[in-house]
Amino acid sequence: MIDFEMTEEQAMARDAMRDFAAAELRPAARASDDGATIAPELRNKLWSTGLVQSMLDEADSDQPRSRILNAIVLEELAAADASLALALAAPMSFVQAILDHGNASQRATLLPAFQGLDFKAAALAVMEPTFGFDVSATSTVAARAGDTWKLDGRKCMVPLAGACSHFIVTARDGERLRAFVVAANQPGVKVLPPKGTLALRALEMSEVVLDAVTLGADQQLGGEEGCDVQCLVDSGRAALAAVMTGMSRGVLEYAIPYLKDRVAHGSPLARKQVIAFRLVDAHMAIQAMRWMAWRAAWSIESNEEPTRHAQLAFTYASEQTMTIADEALQAFGGHGFVRAHPIEMWYRNARALGLLEGVAGV
Amino acid sequence: MIDFSLTAGDRRLIEVTRLENEAMRKHARYYDQHEDEIEPASFPESSELPDKMELMREIEDQTSGLVIAESLMDLEYADPRLRRTEHGLGDMIVGYAGTPEQLERFGHLVLAIALTEPGAGSDPRAITGSARYDEATGEWVLNGEKIYCSKFGQADGAVVLLKGESEGGHRPFLAFIVEKGTPGLVQLGQVKKMGIRNWDTEDFVLQDCRVPAINKVDADFGKTMVVFNGTRPKVAAMGLSIARTLMDFTRDKLKEAGVNVHYAAGRAKRSQLEDRLLRLEALHEATKLSILNCKWREQNEGTNTGATKVDAAIAKAMGGGAARRITQECMEMLGPLGLSEEFLAEKWYRDARIFDIFEGAGEVNRLIVARWLLDYSSKELN
Repeated sequence: MIDFEMTEEQAMARDAMRDFAAAELRPAARASDDGATIAPELRNKLWSTGLVQSMLDEADSDQPRSRILNAIVLEELAAADASLALALAAPMSFVQAILDHGNASQRATLLPAFQGLDFKAAALAVMEPTFGFDVSATSTVAARAGDTWKLDGRKCMVPLAGACSHFIVTARDGERLRAFVVAANQPGVKVLPPKGTLALRALEMSEVVLDAVTLGADQQLGGEEGCDVQCLVDSGRAALAAVMTGMSRGVLEYAIPYLKDRVAHGSPLARKQVIAFRLVDAHMAIQAMRWMAWRAAWSIESNEEPTRHAQLAFTYASEQTMTIADEALQAFGGHGFVRAHPIEMWYRNARALGLLEGVAGV
Repeated sequence: MIDFSLTAGDRRLIEVTRLENEAMRKHARYYDQHEDEIEPASFPESSELPDKMELMREIEDQTSGLVIAESLMDLEYADPRLRRTEHGLGDMIVGYAGTPEQLERFGHLVLAIALTEPGAGSDPRAITGSARYDEATGEWVLNGEKIYCSKFGQADGAVVLLKGESEGGHRPFLAFIVEKGTPGLVQLGQVKKMGIRNWDTEDFVLQDCRVPAINKVDADFGKTMVVFNGTRPKVAAMGLSIARTLMDFTRDKLKEAGVNVHYAAGRAKRSQLEDRLLRLEALHEATKLSILNCKWREQNEGTNTGATKVDAAIAKAMGGGAARRITQECMEMLGPLGLSEEFLAEKWYRDARIFDIFEGAGEVNRLIVARWLLDYSSKELN
């Protein structure tokens, strides 16, 4: 039955994350981007939200965490800063993938480490360092060797890769995609130092090289049967749609007071239709992005064409987020281009978010 | 609880509407080519097909609610319609603004609403049509030219918005029920349009048209505009539906030509046509959710309360814009054969364009949203 109303629990989580993000994340956003790192205490603050730990607590209850709640909280975190939101979204996506697809022994061995009080990095490694990379054309290869697998390839744009204890690596086995849980300290795994990125700089995204990594059969996500890797991609697209919703909302909320204040040719910029209408278009798109992200999350939970809904949410959000950040920068003029305002950072982030696969999950 | 699933009743109503559309499609070209003919109150096919509005009321408790269910059917709009809608906008206004005496006298009438004039479209304040009270006879004397009046051909008359005589330099909006056959009401016939030629649209003139005092409805400009909070998302749904019909046609025809949309792959593995189809579908879904959100709020907060004014403007601005972009791009993707009158594609392209104009142009709706979003009065932002 069609309903857009949050549950009381969802509304409370939204409010709590909104307050937390405004107080703790926004003030730290610029320094984290400039320094291209997230200070350890800030990582622990992110962890203190309890979002990852509660996923585990709720997993075995009668009411596992709703995917829609994940989308709601990701929007709130990203409204303050997308990099910091993704720093938490990455381990969330790892844990969610293990919860969804891991077998009993994988859940038992991997998940307890995420119950602690300190930030724990882990990530999906999906993208590869080739221009025009497409998730459907993964070139990392998984080859069977008796009871084990041998993994060869390179992954890129892995968030906080240097701090990760584990990765979920997607790889091709003939025509089929498989996913493997790879420990960072396994022989043949090499995490390269970050080279720096255009955007989301605090995430220290870097390459992971897999050079004839031998994996036990129990390292395939889901065990011998494996899992449907498309589910990981769908979840990532839905999550990024939520993150883009948040970031776009941050842009709009920052732009409105400035444009009402700034006078040109005798009246505030916001009183000119050309500016006011762009703000309206942004507002309309942000609402629609949010509902698309929620619906994608709902479709994953209810298995109602999740691949389609996740793709549509991701496609719409990518297109709109770029436009919103671009128009905001234009409206700010020179102030949009200088680093005294966050607009230029959001313009860079907007370009990045629509390109990433697997850095988040709902 | 946030939920996007359709109930069994929702699905049934959508199914019934689709069946109806399929059956009616064969009449579409005829009414496109015979714009002076008003569609029958119901087509012969109605003896075999259920009345979807009746069905909706019957199975209300199995739906997502009446307002949402009706919107889901509007999102399946096609022309011509199997059965004419019962109400006009004018009789809806009489319904909530009329006195018991007026309801008694006029309640049975189907009434259009007449607002637009040659010099006053998006800005109704520019209306010049006039109403003068004649104390000698106790009648109102009406003068003016009203154009683009939807449903006037089949209606019993219209609620006409005019301006009264100056009161302290200000001419108030006044509304009157004018029935057809009243001396001084001159019908000018169907408007010749690019598209929606089956859509009953007439012009008329009032020349010293006299109506008794009871015909004056207590509906000023604001009260009249309230009706748009319900109809804007409705009209947006219809326009979006025409665009989707063309999008479905385009997808089917391109599929025959070997173009398939895959949702799993990323954008680097899509052809240009696949990518565009996907982006248009995403725009369609975003717009549809904006319309449904508005209708969901309306269902919770009431249709004529004014609570959904901004949501209605958003739904309409989104719907009108999406109808334009989707139909323009689909025609480009279809290529030269899409131009042929052998297919309905060219008709849907013509039909869809009006949806960003009537029932509030995209710009007018953006003004409504902008004033709310930026906290400006209509003086501060116009």
